[in-house]
Amino acid sequence: MAALTIENVTKNYGEGDILKGIDIAIDKGEFLILVGPSGCGKSTLMNTIAGLEDVTGGRILMGQEDVTELPPKDRDIAMVFQSYALYPNMSVSENIAFGLEIRKVPKAEREAEVQRVAKMLQIEHLLQRRPGQLSGGQRQRVAMGRALARRPRLYLFDEPLSNLDAKLRVEMRTEIKKLHHRLGTTIVYVTHDQIEAMTLADRIAVMKDGIVQQFGTPQEIYDNPANQFVAGFMGSPAMNFIPCKVVSADGETGVEITDAAGNPVFLPVPNGDKLSAAVGQMVTLGLRPEMVTDPQIHKSGEAWVREVSLPVLITEPTGADTMLVTRINETEVDCRVAPRFDVSAGETVSLMIDMSMAVFFDPQTEERLDR
Amino acid sequence: MVKAQADMTQRMLRYGIYLFLGLMALIYLMPFWVMLLTSLKDVEEIRSGTLLSLPGSLDLSAWDKAWNSACTGTTCEGIGPYFMNSFKIVIPAVAISTLLGALNGYVLSMWRFRGSEVLFGLLLVGCFIPFQVILLPMVRTLSVFGMANSTSGLISVHVIYGVAFTTLFFRNFYIGIPKELISAAKLDGAGFFFIFRRILLPLSTPIIVVSVIWQFTQIWNDFLFGVVFSGVDTQPVTVALNNLVNTSFGGKQYNVDMAAALIAAMPTLLVYIVAGKYFVRGLTAGAVKG
Repeated sequence: MAALTIENVTKNYGEGDILKGIDIAIDKGEFLILVGPSGCGKSTLMNTIAGLEDVTGGRILMGQEDVTELPPKDRDIAMVFQSYALYPNMSVSENIAFGLEIRKVPKAEREAEVQRVAKMLQIEHLLQRRPGQLSGGQRQRVAMGRALARRPRLYLFDEPLSNLDAKLRVEMRTEIKKLHHRLGTTIVYVTHDQIEAMTLADRIAVMKDGIVQQFGTPQEIYDNPANQFVAGFMGSPAMNFIPCKVVSADGETGVEITDAAGNPVFLPVPNGDKLSAAVGQMVTLGLRPEMVTDPQIHKSGEAWVREVSLPVLITEPTGADTMLVTRINETEVDCRVAPRFDVSAGETVSLMIDMSMAVFFDPQTEERLDR
Repeated sequence: MVKAQADMTQRMLRYGIYLFLGLMALIYLMPFWVMLLTSLKDVEEIRSGTLLSLPGSLDLSAWDKAWNSACTGTTCEGIGPYFMNSFKIVIPAVAISTLLGALNGYVLSMWRFRGSEVLFGLLLVGCFIPFQVILLPMVRTLSVFGMANSTSGLISVHVIYGVAFTTLFFRNFYIGIPKELISAAKLDGAGFFFIFRRILLPLSTPIIVVSVIWQFTQIWNDFLFGVVFSGVDTQPVTVALNNLVNTSFGGKQYNVDMAAALIAAMPTLLVYIVAGKYFVRGLTAGAVKG
């Protein structure tokens, strides 16, 4: 049964729609991530779920209950804000207990709950401090503690990690994931960070311009993006987009690229029949960097793998991998090669292109062609 | 060498500034000093000495007379009773206008509605209405409500006049407080007044100080409203001071006049001395961020 259903929700501030008919449903215990560039409407959508903003049209349901018209306090939702929004005049324990106090929970019970939450988040030693005396990471924990104390039906996280430094962000990310596993809570989480989205989510809704571009599991979205925007937004380094011509050879449909020497090379396409109508036209080939590698013996000879000699423009070692930039069809292409693959800029090397996960987009509409 | 020279210039400049500030302070303090000296002299000393000559002995009789027995028009009870009148007017007027301003500011910053910005703009116009313009209409209004010549009438006039300013103070202060705090409290289940009382008011100390000082000095120092709207028994100290100075039998008693003036000025002086540093802090709060 769906824990949260968003049905055709629209939001209009008077000039243009911020949300243009959002449809999302998640089950109890699922971790939903709303991701997209700033201004895509993800925070607005979250505020409408919380009841902090009205919807212009559509419905929001929690379980079977229609909460569209309910004020925030009656929705049984807790939220963790980007700025943490801790009450500066109250101690940590008062902050955590505030919601319980308003709901007239007896004092003894309140204190027990504060202890439970503090223990879970390892902030017991901070309970008597004021938010002003805490570090960013500690404030983050307190903000989560305040949300956890009420045991609500739904948790909302509004970019909770974006104010932390890189190292702490990774730590807290893991912590949130652990917490979700342990408590089995239903979470809606807004972020513009696609790595957070990939690592945390059960389901991702990629948004742009007030529209959900794609709604699916992280792997679906990574492997099978609905359009060029989703493909480019998810994944780091980003997917390569290479303009190439659809050709037919020996009854097989594929695309054509040019190698370092200027000779045309035919690349096979797994879903060739989907592209057969486009023979002779230009399409955009989408290739993840990890699909263009140094030659790997165990893969050579596979049906969708080709070796092509290509120029090396630059190499960027990161330790675990080396990012190699080459050029295919006048477009710079990122490749992920093994660090021991010892080449330098200016050389021409043989690189292995694995077409099994290749995707194709219409250069004009940027929609998928082979889906 | 060049560095030492730069240091030297820096120091000279600094001393120059101190000298200038000291001079300014002296100029500002001079009238106060003259008043204090005069109030401690007897009439004979005032006539024979100069403004700055020190009194021969510490004579507080002028202060006693100003407080207890100087004539203010037809009665001769000193300004003591009127001093108390002023407190009866100022304390409720300051409290009510500050509270209303806080509530208005809270609504106009955290609970915006369609047209709230326009409403705020209109409220600001209230800051620019000259006192004289409203005198006659206000007399009519107060008599309609049966509050003419009463303390409560004068209090309401001051409250209405002050709300424009206090609203401005609080609204501009609250606009710098993150809205997420209010959102968090809403989700925690807090209502309109609960959020105001538990979240915003505890954060408002600096701006409350500003509002109280501003309103206190405005209302305490007010003369025009006091003359027009108060009755014979409810006159504030400023009106009584005027009457005292203008009532003379025989020679002018400058020492009594000065003592009375100092008494009348004392509360505002004290408020500034006690809370002055919060005043500056509060006025600039939020000026940097948001």
